[in-house]
Amino acid sequence: MKFANIVLFAKHFMQNTIKLKSFYGVGIIFLLLTAYAAVSGIKNYTTQNEIRQTYQSKARQSWEANPDKHPHRMAHFGTFAFRKGHPLSVFDYGLENYTGNAMFLEAHRQNSVNFSEASFSTGVLRFGQLSMATLVQLVLPLILIFIGFSSIASDRENGTLKIIVAQGARSLEIILGKSLGLFSVSLLFFVPMALVVLCSLLIYDNALNTNDIWFRYWVLLIFYLLFLGIVSITITVVSSVSRTAKNALLKLLGIWLVLFILIPRTAQSIGEYYYPTPTKLAFQNAIEKDVIKIGDSHNPDDPYYKKLKDSVLKANNVTKVTELPFNYGGLVMSKGEKISTILYRKHHKDLLKTYEKQNNISKLIAFINPYLALKQLSMTISGTDFSSYVSFQNQAEEYRYTLAQTMNELQINYISPTKVSGSEGKKHVVDDEHWEAFSDFNHEPISFKKSMTEALTPMLSLLLWSILMIVFVKITIKKMKIV
Amino acid sequence: MTFKLFINQFIRSKEVKISLFLIMLLGLVSIFIGKKHIVKQNQAINEVTSYQKKHFDRYVAAHNEDLGLLLYYVKFSFIHQSNPLSGFSIGQSDINPSIKRITIKTFEAQKYDTDLTNPMNLQSGNLDLSFVLIYLIPLLIIVMVFNVLSEETESGTWHLVAVQTKSKLSFLCNKLLVRFLFVETLVVMLFLIGALLLSISFSAQLVTLFLLATLYVVFWFSLSFFIALFKKSSGFNVLILLTIWLVILILIPSGINTYVSSKYPIPEALNTAIAQRDGYHTKWDTEESPTIKKFYDHYPEFEKYGYPTGGFNWLWYYAMQQMGDDDSKEEQQNLKAKIKLRLEATNKLTSVIPNMYLQRTFNKIAGTSMEEHLTYLEATGDFHEKLRLYFYPRIFENVYADTIDWNQFKPEFYRASSDINPFKTVLPLILSTLFFILISIPKIRNL
Repeated sequence: MKFANIVLFAKHFMQNTIKLKSFYGVGIIFLLLTAYAAVSGIKNYTTQNEIRQTYQSKARQSWEANPDKHPHRMAHFGTFAFRKGHPLSVFDYGLENYTGNAMFLEAHRQNSVNFSEASFSTGVLRFGQLSMATLVQLVLPLILIFIGFSSIASDRENGTLKIIVAQGARSLEIILGKSLGLFSVSLLFFVPMALVVLCSLLIYDNALNTNDIWFRYWVLLIFYLLFLGIVSITITVVSSVSRTAKNALLKLLGIWLVLFILIPRTAQSIGEYYYPTPTKLAFQNAIEKDVIKIGDSHNPDDPYYKKLKDSVLKANNVTKVTELPFNYGGLVMSKGEKISTILYRKHHKDLLKTYEKQNNISKLIAFINPYLALKQLSMTISGTDFSSYVSFQNQAEEYRYTLAQTMNELQINYISPTKVSGSEGKKHVVDDEHWEAFSDFNHEPISFKKSMTEALTPMLSLLLWSILMIVFVKITIKKMKIV
Repeated sequence: MTFKLFINQFIRSKEVKISLFLIMLLGLVSIFIGKKHIVKQNQAINEVTSYQKKHFDRYVAAHNEDLGLLLYYVKFSFIHQSNPLSGFSIGQSDINPSIKRITIKTFEAQKYDTDLTNPMNLQSGNLDLSFVLIYLIPLLIIVMVFNVLSEETESGTWHLVAVQTKSKLSFLCNKLLVRFLFVETLVVMLFLIGALLLSISFSAQLVTLFLLATLYVVFWFSLSFFIALFKKSSGFNVLILLTIWLVILILIPSGINTYVSSKYPIPEALNTAIAQRDGYHTKWDTEESPTIKKFYDHYPEFEKYGYPTGGFNWLWYYAMQQMGDDDSKEEQQNLKAKIKLRLEATNKLTSVIPNMYLQRTFNKIAGTSMEEHLTYLEATGDFHEKLRLYFYPRIFENVYADTIDWNQFKPEFYRASSDINPFKTVLPLILSTLFFILISIPKIRNL
């Protein structure tokens, strides 16, 4: 194998492609689409984050504006957690539009994350989203098929292949050369996009100050290049084993349709079929049942809380809760919050496990479908995947719990022991300085390390596919017919 | 006789056989997925229905003497009864909840609560029958039509045809007709099997859906034929047709989606959420009487209950809850207006793109569209209001819970009322088909 020959074939392939008028048509359209996707990606990211920041601070202002109040009123006044978009969502929207953006946080209740883009969609969202990631993942392979399907098949059809081989070229050199050529063509499409993303990160975020985003950027770059390499080799290999160019084209299109459209759509359905999501009612009931089993703090005759009362009274050597040195209502509330939160989290974890099982089917299928692998990897590294969403939910829930318990603490310590129940009025109140003292919710993006662990399977899949390509090429050179 | 020949010639092709089989299979899978969707929804409805009575019993027993407290907890179900046709076109119905369980407290705080959903499932989309019809049938048509003329020129038979037939056009039309009949039979079969499995009764809606699907098939035939008439090579035809498929089925729709959502972002939703929260909660800081006064302004019929004083009372509490809704009216209006803008923009843009038009019309007829969900939410609001009006006086008079007939509160159903005008509905598709037939005429003359 001569390296020079490979380069020669690659150069020749590129020159031939660039000569085509239709190539410029496709190239310009793709660039325009990239520009459109980039502009709308950036615009979407900046406006959405602006909106969410505005309302996060608006919600905060009305929290701080509360006058002296009973702390339990504040626990129900609650606040909102708004999900911040990840800087790389400019490139890959991932689940961004399907996950809720706002969660109301209050005592006793875990509310749903509401107002996803999808819930306000007029139905067109289901046609897909035009992000830069979609363009490379879905559209570019199709363009590469159009450019590369005939690379070897038509050489054979018109007899050129025979001449090249007679001149001493080996089939390995031809296949690698043409693949390299096709890969270089794909770079003409991909590199401008990579630069756009880099610029947007530099301009719209000082994000690049942190290593986190840098690492993400490079991981994305490496695996996208790997994917384009896999695509280029596959196209060339199929072209070399097909009788005619038309035949190669039909085969490649079939592969594209199955791997890029059909399998991804069905994979999740299979997951949901085998691991059905419980209904909201069943989910809430299961928690309620567990809570009642231990003790219902809202029920005055509950044995658990009766026992608690007796032991507290005994320990403090008093006969009535109003004689305690602290506010007993606050203590009950704090116990109740703790129990219901532990149980909620347990059930929520189970729910997430069900979702993960559903998603694992797709992850498994990604081993036979490099497109699916890249899609998952890209979402995860761009911070727009399922794990980033779960991370937001967990942060919000953690904040909610702290908020509720802080308010309960205030009640225990500052509200008169004589006021056991009720929270209205201006008499039993806590100074408003406490509201400001309780810090605001801040959504921390998921860490690079966590994303990497999450992306391990798809990465492995893509690496395996790269090795598989070597095997493919080796088999092909044995089978390839010159005439 | 010659027709039989056309059929024989057509089904000899391996690609055609494989693709026909594949689409049939996927069609069946899609019907199965639709069935599963409906079964799942019905299960959820059954759960809610059987639960509601137990739920009431428990709370009536616990808080018989405190109706105000009881209604703080008790939830009433309002269900979006799905049309069996939603199995054909799942649309937005997996994103938007179809069961609302609401208390009589502030409605805005409950209106947008979501179901438990895995966002990965939502993102991947559903392989329902509408997907098969809209995305895959065109590919089948492309495979059948791309070489309808070029195979003759490439194998050298076109000259023979030119000499032997009376009209080259009618020769091609016969060839197309055979292909069309195959596709149409497939569509008919899928509709029949689907209607049978999803127990869809024969109705104007079903006929309209079928008409739309057929016209869409005709549209793709006319488009593919138009390209075939350019007398280019088979390879070129495939490329061009697939590019068209890519552009109108993937690029334009996702472009429009991106345009609409970035042109009309909805901060109003977040604004409303905060406004309703503040509308209710800040009332705890003010005197009781102004809030109750505002409540009576809204419901003068309750003024007879006066202005109770001396700390907490349920009249004041529910008046405060009412203010969550009343004081966020302006924000709600803005939100509604913004959504309307979105819908208008979408309607305008999608009516000229056949596939988008088809999907949206399918959703509309099947009751799985955004518009449908919005009316359901409105209806939920009315249901909520009805409950309030029933319970407010009873709370204020503090009647015992067991004197109320709780059996009257069965889960209520909202049924979509879709008055579809079949002729108006199919018009855009007829127009776009006519367009391609018209621009084909000059080419036909030069056959």
